[in-house]
Amino acid sequence: MGEPLDSAEALEERISALRAAVRRAVLDGDADRARALRRDLSHAEQDWDNALDAQAARAQPGSLEPAPERDDDQSPAERQPRGEPRGGTLLPLREQVHEALSLLQVPAAPRLIATVHEAFYATSFPTARLTSLRRDEERSFKTAPFARPYYICAALAADFLSPSRGLLAISTWPMERRIIGSLSPRVDFLVAAINVAQAIEQIPQPVPAARALLARFAANVRGSSSANSAGRPSGRIEPRSVIRAAQAELAVHQDEDHAARAEAARRAREQLDEPEQLFGAASFRRAATADKLAGER
Amino acid sequence: MTTLTSLAKVEAIALDRAQLIRTVRHVHVSPRPLIFVPLQLAGEACAPLAAMVGDDRDHERLLIAYEPRDRTERFRFAAGLGEVILGYVDGYAAGDPGEGVPYPDAPQVWVPNAGGMKFAELLGRSTRFRRTEGPHPVPASVPLLGRWVTYLAERAQHPLSSLFLSATQALTAHWATGQSATEDQNLATLLAWIAPPPGQTGAQAALLAENPARCPPAGPVTDPDFDRDVLEGLIKAIVAARQSGDAAARERAQALMARELHSVLKPTWDLMWQAVDLLRSLPPGDHVAERWKTDRFSFTGYVRYLQEGGVPQARRDAAVDAARRLARLENEAQQLAAHMAYDDPLVMAEYRMTGDAFAGPVVRAEPDRLDETGKRARLRPWITVETTDDVLAELGADLRSPARPAQQARVIEVERAGERTRVTIELQSGMGRKLVPEPGSVPGLGDVVCYTTFKAEFQPPPKFPDREDTPWTHGGPPPEYVPRDEEAAEEWE
Amino acid sequence: MSSPGGAGTERRLAWLRGGELPQTHNARTIAALASNPGCARRALLDAAATRKQDIAEHAGYPVPFGMSPFALSRGVVFERQLKDDPGGLLLALLRETLNLDIAEVGFTDLNDVGGSPDLAVRHARTKAVLTGRPDQRGTLFDHPLLRFRVGGRHAYLEPDLIAFRHDDTFHVVEIKSFAVIDGQADPAKVAAAAIQSAVYVLAMRDLVGDTATVHHESVLICPRDFANTPLATTLDVRKQLGVLERQLSRIAGIDSVLAHVPADVSFSLDADEKGVPQRDPGDLLRDIKRVDANYSPECLASCELCYLCRDEASGSTSVLGKSVREELGGIESVPRALKLARGDDPLPVPEDLREAAAILRRAASLRRDALAAARAETW
Repeated sequence: MGEPLDSAEALEERISALRAAVRRAVLDGDADRARALRRDLSHAEQDWDNALDAQAARAQPGSLEPAPERDDDQSPAERQPRGEPRGGTLLPLREQVHEALSLLQVPAAPRLIATVHEAFYATSFPTARLTSLRRDEERSFKTAPFARPYYICAALAADFLSPSRGLLAISTWPMERRIIGSLSPRVDFLVAAINVAQAIEQIPQPVPAARALLARFAANVRGSSSANSAGRPSGRIEPRSVIRAAQAELAVHQDEDHAARAEAARRAREQLDEPEQLFGAASFRRAATADKLAGER
Repeated sequence: MTTLTSLAKVEAIALDRAQLIRTVRHVHVSPRPLIFVPLQLAGEACAPLAAMVGDDRDHERLLIAYEPRDRTERFRFAAGLGEVILGYVDGYAAGDPGEGVPYPDAPQVWVPNAGGMKFAELLGRSTRFRRTEGPHPVPASVPLLGRWVTYLAERAQHPLSSLFLSATQALTAHWATGQSATEDQNLATLLAWIAPPPGQTGAQAALLAENPARCPPAGPVTDPDFDRDVLEGLIKAIVAARQSGDAAARERAQALMARELHSVLKPTWDLMWQAVDLLRSLPPGDHVAERWKTDRFSFTGYVRYLQEGGVPQARRDAAVDAARRLARLENEAQQLAAHMAYDDPLVMAEYRMTGDAFAGPVVRAEPDRLDETGKRARLRPWITVETTDDVLAELGADLRSPARPAQQARVIEVERAGERTRVTIELQSGMGRKLVPEPGSVPGLGDVVCYTTFKAEFQPPPKFPDREDTPWTHGGPPPEYVPRDEEAAEEWE
Repeated sequence: MSSPGGAGTERRLAWLRGGELPQTHNARTIAALASNPGCARRALLDAAATRKQDIAEHAGYPVPFGMSPFALSRGVVFERQLKDDPGGLLLALLRETLNLDIAEVGFTDLNDVGGSPDLAVRHARTKAVLTGRPDQRGTLFDHPLLRFRVGGRHAYLEPDLIAFRHDDTFHVVEIKSFAVIDGQADPAKVAAAAIQSAVYVLAMRDLVGDTATVHHESVLICPRDFANTPLATTLDVRKQLGVLERQLSRIAGIDSVLAHVPADVSFSLDADEKGVPQRDPGDLLRDIKRVDANYSPECLASCELCYLCRDEASGSTSVLGKSVREELGGIESVPRALKLARGDDPLPVPEDLREAAAILRRAASLRRDALAAARAETW
């Protein structure tokens, strides 16, 4: 990529010229030309992004991660320079995810994992990086199965045993816990609420991020605080009352959820090979069904 | 839409340019208005993107939120805007005018359209509760800006006020174009109809002005093609440069963004000054200065309120306040309508169409008529006006004339004969103390006069219970409004 | 939804469309059908599933109906925030709004079927899940794939969420990213959301084959104030359902429109194998104009052909808007209105226009007098 600085500047000029050209084309009502120019423009912008990345990588030789995507719920003041987590140790990402999931004890979405880690381990990471993590873990497992003590893996949808969208889990958990049935989103939410509340109980001085996390759980469990779901938490929230309320509701769903999960887990163990058991069944494709339905159209 | 305005729109098409629907100007135009052209990021409730602002047409200020989704950037933008707007407002609030006296002049802010007004209202809503200390401190200019723009946006609801104007609204109140009301919301096409460039018809000029690539939209939302082709890449570049800590790249990207935003804002900036010039070129109506005086009083009052440490405007009015406010606005609307009719024969013509006013020559006059039925003789001249207008006024009705607005007049007789109506009127005041009228106080034979069934004088608004007497049906007396911490800390994402 | 008049109609519509791929409808395009029901041109172009934007562009009247990438991404971010936490925030919101029982927490993801995004497969699965036994049905259904018949063709529709309640009714849930500030939202955006959810309600009723089980109250979830905190409100869409049904039956009864269209009219672009239109634009324009339009300024917000029809309507009072036209006594032609106002129309004024003509003459004379008075500054 040549001399990055020069190339970045050259690209800027090119981008600027292309923009002018696009607008001229739009002005002239030349839609085809505008389309073509827009394509060139987006390529040039891509090159320019890459050039900047390359430049940044040189400026900070220690950092190897790609530039994180902007996370909307963080202000720059809260955001830390890459590779310099505040407090805590510099653990690999997979270990940080493992820490957070071990606290929650249920499959979770990247955003929750990041929030939990920030609340209890004082480091946060951009959620966009978790998407690639699962792919890396799968690759690693396939190259050398069970070479690691644990893998960050998928949760499986109960119906077709395909990977449940967006959720991450730990490979050492029992299969039942990694299955997501119809009731599981709520059940797992309640279990997570209980585990977060219990963890907070054990900290003498929880940080604001931890209290905020508890408040978020409390707001969405009936009877755990005075705040309603849409409202901001009012006052201090007692971990005990969150635990009590969550357990009370859990009792309503638990048996049915467990039965559904156990049944699906049995199927998974019977039907799926080892990588599939961890990372989900390959895409469900039944061409015959699709064709049959297409005929109805 | 009235028949007269509709007719003017048809004439605009036939004559290839907009037609005046007023003979005088009914808004005050400041000698030094502040032009404010805001832009916001599409899809967000109130994410400022940029603004071109200033009171000197040759020195526009461009303010930019380089990362419009970022909270810190937003407050930096609000602080910068605050400095410009507060600096302008402060210029009118120098010294103490003394008790009961308004400042000699007041600020006047112009935005391009109704969207710009809404933007100002939301900007005020999202900044006025902020605090300069505590957990989420902001610069002092932020909450103060919030209070001022909220004040202005509230004043804009008042029919009599000219403190905060939208250019499209002010222009369409005076000109009828050959396009629809929807299309009149576009400042560029509206001005194309009012003042087409030489050699072009209004329709031709409007068609060209409609192309967003040629005439960027006057905001607050930008052209989606501009967002996709230009803005998205620039913002991405700025974020990436900041994250990688490359100050030089960030500066370059910001400079590019400033150039692009300048190029989309400058055309509207120029159109805004053109709008101000066009309106200023119309002679002001007689009541305009009187109305501006109420604006000056209002402005003076708000300056004092802030000096005395007044709290920011509440999020919502309490029941009685809201009802009182609505009644006041209604009352002002009637007053404005009467002012305009009295100042402007074209507006009066609307009332003549509907029968609420009539005009015609005086065909009989008894200027020295005395009423001798009481103990003492009183001067009660009678005049008879012949008109081809429809006359709705009935026997005994109170009438007023724009020529002598304070003079009381009463309908004595209405005679209809074919197309013509003769109305005999008794004049009851405004003729001096003697038994002979002061010269000029009674219309003479052959004078063309106009009489209306409404008055332009101030009407006191209806009474409302005091705050503490709010009926329980309306929630009972509201608690005194006290700003809360959570309002100050509210998220602005 | 009844299908339009059989194979003959289908052939006719296909001929009108030419070799072009039919336009796929979505909730927004179907909702747009509800505006201007009196326009034969629009009804025909929609019934034939033509790509109106391409047609308008090729005929020389391109319309900028783009959407900002910022608005798009804002919508995605807001929805993701809710759907990332289906068992928490989303459920709590809906519990409150729809009075769900504590046991009603089931969540079924219909975004794909075992990883397959195939539309037909997804629709089949949606149908199986939503029409299954009520006691095994669950409560929340994420992105079900519905089907809707417009002008003889099926369109796939994907509501954000469907909720099924203990009283055996389904509720459409719409997630929109426009803000509700201090209890108020942009009325135009709320109206658009209402008509879109009415489209989903109709499609759901079609799917479950029963009107009563799909409630006319939808749920609208928007960000509150300036934050991303969601706020749920119910939205009664009965009025929108009525409007849509009327317009759809009009499209279904397209035969009566077709009967007035010459047999050789075609909207085909005659695209070559690269998709580049080869048809003479003037020829296309002529054919478009052979079908009557009903232009009003409201078209500018909803129809791709608006610039074409506006140009065609120039010289007509309809370009000025409905209220102007009414004030002018319904007179259609601009020159005619002016002539009547000036009283110099050589033709005798027909009986039905006498009153309008008298009002116009009066207005014109008042306007003339007032302008003269202003010039003379005597009042």
